[in-house]
Amino acid sequence: MKKILFLYILTSLVSCEPDDICSENTQTTPRLVIEFFDIENFEAPKTAPGLFAVGLDDLGNEVTILGEVVNSRSIIELPLNGSENQTQFKLYSNYDIIDNEVEGNPDVITIAYETESFYVSRACGYKNNYSIQGFSIEQDIDLWMISTEITINEVTNENESHVKIFH
Amino acid sequence: MKMKVMSKYSISILCSILAFGLTSAQNNVEEKKPNIQQDSVVFQEKYGLRFGVDISRLARTAFESDYSGFELNADYRLSKKLYTAGELGFEEKSTSTSYLDSKAKGNYFKAGIDYNLYENWLGMENLIIGGLRFGFSSFSQTRDRYTIYDTNGQTWGGIINEDSKEFAGLTAAWLELIFGIKAELLNNVFLGLNVQIKARLAEKSPSNFENLYIPGFGRTYDSSKIGTGFSYTITYLLPIYKKTRIQKLSEEDNEKTAVE
Repeated sequence: MKKILFLYILTSLVSCEPDDICSENTQTTPRLVIEFFDIENFEAPKTAPGLFAVGLDDLGNEVTILGEVVNSRSIIELPLNGSENQTQFKLYSNYDIIDNEVEGNPDVITIAYETESFYVSRACGYKNNYSIQGFSIEQDIDLWMISTEITINEVTNENESHVKIFH
Repeated sequence: MKMKVMSKYSISILCSILAFGLTSAQNNVEEKKPNIQQDSVVFQEKYGLRFGVDISRLARTAFESDYSGFELNADYRLSKKLYTAGELGFEEKSTSTSYLDSKAKGNYFKAGIDYNLYENWLGMENLIIGGLRFGFSSFSQTRDRYTIYDTNGQTWGGIINEDSKEFAGLTAAWLELIFGIKAELLNNVFLGLNVQIKARLAEKSPSNFENLYIPGFGRTYDSSKIGTGFSYTITYLLPIYKKTRIQKLSEEDNEKTAVE
């Protein structure tokens, strides 16, 4: 009896597999990092007041970005749509909601890119990396963004900004 | 086709190892005529080819839906404590995680030695084995599904790729330490149990993917090249010749016999 128990324990130890959980520190699919700079001084980061972003799907409907809140900041991270080759966002400055009306100045940006999938690990599966092919601001009568510059084409991590917007 | 070549290759290696065992054993056949003294006991020890199957793999094939496998094993006794030993097998195993579905399939062989650490009582031929193996596997991996992992929420909805892709021509080699027992239950029939610790020496991984399971080696771990395994074996010893073992009785035993 003891022998059987011993064999059972031995077998369960050997065949037991630890839970494979994708660590939060693992670099998986990166977001596009945009940094805002002063149009009068290209070297100086400049806070965009009341910055808020929403996604636009291919029909032009607004898509809520999970975790996105109104915040004055000079850096924003935007998730690209991995099943399309371009994504549009509406970036508001001075975003506010007054009497159920959205206040602020929305500018629409379009990012075109190529997607490639890379194997990460058993626990994390695959990640997407993006290669930026184009970045544009849609014309409207009241643009708060004045010009843009792509600084890093390959979106592989979120450590540095990929695009500069001057305002 | 590749697999066929592979199994032929491994069979021939196994055979040559066994043949080596046979020739070296024959040199030992010239037995010295034992000079039997009164204070010693003579016993004929069996030398031969022991072969069998891994019943744990048969059981797993029957009861686990994501596994099928088969393993033949054999050993040949070279000397009192040393055996040359090997295994030949086939395995197919599906691996499923939240982000991946894949299946590994292939053949393997293992060759090496077993050393009997157990000093048997006279007339018994059980083994406590410490063994060493070199293992080699030739296999393919099929990726059936994968998900793009995105920590930043599913703003745009998850991306699942279900295009099945086979990565063929994969190989792996490893060294293996074995610790186990073999007990003679019936005449010439042994039941064995062993555990294995393996260290991967080399492997050919698929591009933009990795070997999640290697037939014969088992599942792989991200953090190390170590693997584990176990076997329950049932084997039959085909005795080829016998060798006399003389055990001198200790003084204590002599006294006992005297009393009797």
